[in-house]
Amino acid sequence: MNKQAIKILFLFLCFIFVNEVYAQVGPAHGWDAPKIKGTRQEIYSIYEGKPYFTDNWCLGKIQLSNGETIDSLYLRYSSFKDELIYFNKQINTQIRIDKSIISAFKFTDENGQLHSFRKQQFDNAAKSERYFEILSEGSVDLLCYKKVNLDEVSPYHDSKGTLKNMAYRQEYLYYFYSPAEGYAPVKPSKNGLLAQFDKQSQKPVKKLLRKNKIYISDEFTFIAAWETIEKNGFKVMF
Amino acid sequence: MKEKTIILILLVLASIILKAQQIIPLSVSSDRDVYVSGEIMLVKVFIPINDQSKVNYLDLLNLQGKRVSGAILKINNHQADGFLQLPDSLSTGTYILRSYSKSPANNLKVIKEVWVANRFNGLEKTRQIPRLALNNIDKKSSASIKIENIQYEVKSNSDNNLAINIDQQFINQIDGDVSICISQYDNLFKSSSAFVVSEAKDTTDLLGSKGLILSGLVTDKKTSQPTSGINVFFTIPDSIPDFQYYKTGFDGKFYFQLNNYSGLINPFIQCFSTNQLQRLKITLDDSYTASELVPSFNLQAVTDSFKNNNARNIDVITFQKIFEQQPFKIIQEPQKKTNEYPYYGKPNKIINPHLFIDLPNFTEISRELLSGVKFRNYNNEPTLQILNYATNSYFEEMPLTLIDGIPIRNLNLIKDLGTQDIKRVDICASERYYGDLKFPGVVAVYTTKADYSNIKETDQFIHPTLDAVQPQITLSQSDINNTTTPDLRQVLYWAPTIQLQNIIPVKFRTSAILGKFMISVRCRLKDGSIVCEEKQFEVK
Repeated sequence: MNKQAIKILFLFLCFIFVNEVYAQVGPAHGWDAPKIKGTRQEIYSIYEGKPYFTDNWCLGKIQLSNGETIDSLYLRYSSFKDELIYFNKQINTQIRIDKSIISAFKFTDENGQLHSFRKQQFDNAAKSERYFEILSEGSVDLLCYKKVNLDEVSPYHDSKGTLKNMAYRQEYLYYFYSPAEGYAPVKPSKNGLLAQFDKQSQKPVKKLLRKNKIYISDEFTFIAAWETIEKNGFKVMF
Repeated sequence: MKEKTIILILLVLASIILKAQQIIPLSVSSDRDVYVSGEIMLVKVFIPINDQSKVNYLDLLNLQGKRVSGAILKINNHQADGFLQLPDSLSTGTYILRSYSKSPANNLKVIKEVWVANRFNGLEKTRQIPRLALNNIDKKSSASIKIENIQYEVKSNSDNNLAINIDQQFINQIDGDVSICISQYDNLFKSSSAFVVSEAKDTTDLLGSKGLILSGLVTDKKTSQPTSGINVFFTIPDSIPDFQYYKTGFDGKFYFQLNNYSGLINPFIQCFSTNQLQRLKITLDDSYTASELVPSFNLQAVTDSFKNNNARNIDVITFQKIFEQQPFKIIQEPQKKTNEYPYYGKPNKIINPHLFIDLPNFTEISRELLSGVKFRNYNNEPTLQILNYATNSYFEEMPLTLIDGIPIRNLNLIKDLGTQDIKRVDICASERYYGDLKFPGVVAVYTTKADYSNIKETDQFIHPTLDAVQPQITLSQSDINNTTTPDLRQVLYWAPTIQLQNIIPVKFRTSAILGKFMISVRCRLKDGSIVCEEKQFEVK
């Protein structure tokens, strides 16, 4: 390209740039986006184990109870308190989002895996609302309540040499859920899964898993097993 | 060769851009062309397809170009309908009905002339009628729309049925709904609509697609310069106050969404600087566009028959006012409750002081009833602190303090409130956040009177009355059983959005008013042109 052509292109780009700048006059970006209500997140005491579901802030989005969505938020799910925390970059603060304004949220973790959570009322006496991770969605959902408890443990010295007797311990609870039938607790193991089916179905289910070479050893294989079973039309007993 | 190729590409690009900006016409029509001051004018507007605006602005200008009335209409499917209340004080003359949006894709405004006779003076001093020299843009008739089953002469106070027959092939050409109006007609003042192009554009033009936006400017009172970094609060007090905020940029401008409101609203708009000594001033932008030059007009002599018709209309309206007849009914939509609890959060504590022993002031109330709230009034300088439950220590900063949902900084407003004056106190004893706003605890006082009389307006705390999107209007049903007062409706049928079908049945009842009436069927074709089919009949 000769100089003349470059000059013309440069002038054209300048024209576009000026137009863009003019178009940006007006309100600040996101001025009319829904606002998040919350409380300052107080830092948890440090013990062995992790109170949070992820080690770092993860980019994600939340769906509000009124149907609006807010994306590009730095989120962190507290398994210990069953709370969603976001980092407000403008004011440099960790804010615990009011549970009542959220209906669902999702984020991508450090390994690139998408985690999708939904707020649901649980069948306990208090009818409290919990965030469940949706492991599989269908006519029957496979949900997980990613709970972490602060338990008393044998005394130990932390990295700073302080003697402690408490630790965060994972106690993930898995459920099959259907809006009509409610919750059915399930253990993430082969026997736990088989126990969810009537006796007549257990044998074919076992055969199906063997045929598909699925050996339940962790959450991923558990989900894969359930999805295969569901695809083949086996119904869970509630 | 390369140069020529680049220039060619640029020309093609420019032509594509220009083609994208091609404008499809818009149109405004009203139920009648001749009115009496104090009446309601019904309006239907077609908006260009490329205009993504959510609201349409409608106003009435006098022949000096000054606005005398206005309304903001909600746009649905590129159409809008609504009404204009003609002020009682309008002097007799020709007025201009103007419709426009604030979309950057549409810089056109459409105008239509109407005649308004003053209810008290009539046409006593009127010798000539100014008529605008306008080009008719929408009088395209179509043989494919037939108005059937109506005789030329119809009895007064009688039930009638007619049918609008639209060709099936023509239906496919129509874009959107059909509007039908049957109203009194005066052939001496028949108005048309025409375009005027507005060159003027402001920054709010960029917000057309966002709906109804309130904008304004914060300036420093000393320097009169726009001020940045100022938090502007917009509050509509209620049991759950509605709240918005905006932090001003370098241009000092602020913007608030008014899409969720309808009718007239009375928000409290205030701004706060981090520097307590800085004095600020809020100026609101006018929602409507500025006045403009009116097109040239010709003078037409007033005939006796026009004078008589006007005199009769004035009598009709005076009669309706005396007997409180309402020809139209405004449908107020219930305000949507978008929040379960206030923006400042669910209160940790709610205290109802009037249920307790009589306490004379807020200091006593805080001591006796509000644990964790420290209100002191030493040397007439009140202070307020709140206990943070999370840390079990008092916040150093003053909490967000509200009176009837309105944020205040002057604690003198609450210091004299006793138990009998306060209905409820909400307390949030934690550090609360709303968007980027931080509240070091919240004390919200709701008074029994809730009349906001204690709050004085200043330059940085204003309480304007604003137009939000207009509520819907319908015709009132005629009362057949009422034999004591005559039925004096001048508009017999008004259906601005009727779903398209082959045969549209129209059922209407004539009133006691005799004379000429017009049936008009209006729609827009997919090519943007407006079709209007009309048929006259006489009530005897």
